[in-house]
Amino acid sequence: MFELRFFEIYRNGDYLLRLAEGIWLSISLTVGAAIIGFIVAGILAAVRNAKVPVAAQISAAYVEFIRNTPLIVQLFFVAFGLPLLFGYSWPFWAHALLGLTLNFSAYFAEILRSGLQSISKGQIEAAIALGLKPLQRFRKVIIPQVIASVYPSLTSQFIFLFLTTGVISEIGVEDLTHAGVFIDSRTFRSFEIFITLTLLYVAIALLFKFCMLAIDRHYFAWKDR
Amino acid sequence: MKELFIDLLGKPMGIVIFQLLEATQFTIYLSLIAFIGGGIIGAFITLMRISGKPPLIRVATSYIWCFQSVPLLMLLFLSGLGVPRLLGQDVNPWVSATVSLTLYSSAYLAEVWRGAIQAVPKGQWEGGYSVGMRFFPVLRAIILPQALRLALAPTVGFSVQIIKGTSLAYIIGFNDLMNLGRRWANTPVDGTEPFVIYPLMALIYFCLCFPLSRLAIYFEKRLGTYSKGPQVATA
Repeated sequence: MFELRFFEIYRNGDYLLRLAEGIWLSISLTVGAAIIGFIVAGILAAVRNAKVPVAAQISAAYVEFIRNTPLIVQLFFVAFGLPLLFGYSWPFWAHALLGLTLNFSAYFAEILRSGLQSISKGQIEAAIALGLKPLQRFRKVIIPQVIASVYPSLTSQFIFLFLTTGVISEIGVEDLTHAGVFIDSRTFRSFEIFITLTLLYVAIALLFKFCMLAIDRHYFAWKDR
Repeated sequence: MKELFIDLLGKPMGIVIFQLLEATQFTIYLSLIAFIGGGIIGAFITLMRISGKPPLIRVATSYIWCFQSVPLLMLLFLSGLGVPRLLGQDVNPWVSATVSLTLYSSAYLAEVWRGAIQAVPKGQWEGGYSVGMRFFPVLRAIILPQALRLALAPTVGFSVQIIKGTSLAYIIGFNDLMNLGRRWANTPVDGTEPFVIYPLMALIYFCLCFPLSRLAIYFEKRLGTYSKGPQVATA
């Protein structure tokens, strides 16, 4: 009735190379967006936590808006709307990086904010009593505890977000999904190639999970959860 | 109705907004079907997961793990392109979209509900058994009323993820808000540039999702939830 012909994909060097390049681009864009997004998220969360007059409201509105709209609409806007509006042209990957960063930062900001809220007042009071200046307090007392307490949610959020990054292929980025769609259009072995892609995505997600767990064991061993 | 929109907003805008709103109904239908279908399958998976029988638990945990780890995009590609080509026959986009979103939401809902049921203290089960009740009566009369409170907030919260997830269904040719908006954005008509259409679409999605997010937060404050850490959300 039907036959599976995986070898049509696996025997072709060009396809394998495309898949490998796709994996590389997917991983690097996701990690890049996550790092920049984390920094932006830190600012968003800090601003909201400190209740800076106008900025706190903007930060809240931004987070809510991003979290309640689909990633694909945001990406299309960033990739096709903004360049037309402001008359610039970037390579595809830069649009994807910007779009993913905007998206990731909102999700991370929400997690960081709840981490900031969870710090007990006694910690800050103790830091004041020890004579630490505001910046020292923030760096030495608040940040380590926030990071340690939100690290598990942050990593699972990151992995969830990684699994949604396939949509950047829709704005022309030659990521893993793009490679799969290309191979599909050449071979018409849709089932085989998308099963392959699925397994690759799951494998990369597991790899991320493993790395994050290793980091957790190494840096946050002092924290008992 | 269409004339009203054109009268109010002028020629291109009135038509665009009317058509976008018209297409939104399919986004809503698909979300509802996925939510209900996912809920039914998810309930069965939850039952298997809490049944206490090792083979059933193993099946349920692997089901949940499997469909939580597989990207929704891949489920859509597999059900919309992969399986039809494998079987050599066309499949209606409605069917593929429904199947993939149902599988996706069933896994997440099962996980949410399992968490809620297992958050009910074990003594409640034992108390029920000790007065001679069987599994299902205990579940119905003692556990579910307590678990429902805890499950409500994350369940409503997850419906937002489903609505956002339906935006990917255009990839397999499903005609929803996303697909129509994309076509308008590619049309060379003044007033339908991408920087007009996409914010408009984002706004419509926001109007669908934001009330649900708020409702989830309201339930969480009012009824509580079982997870201690911050909620992880899928994009």
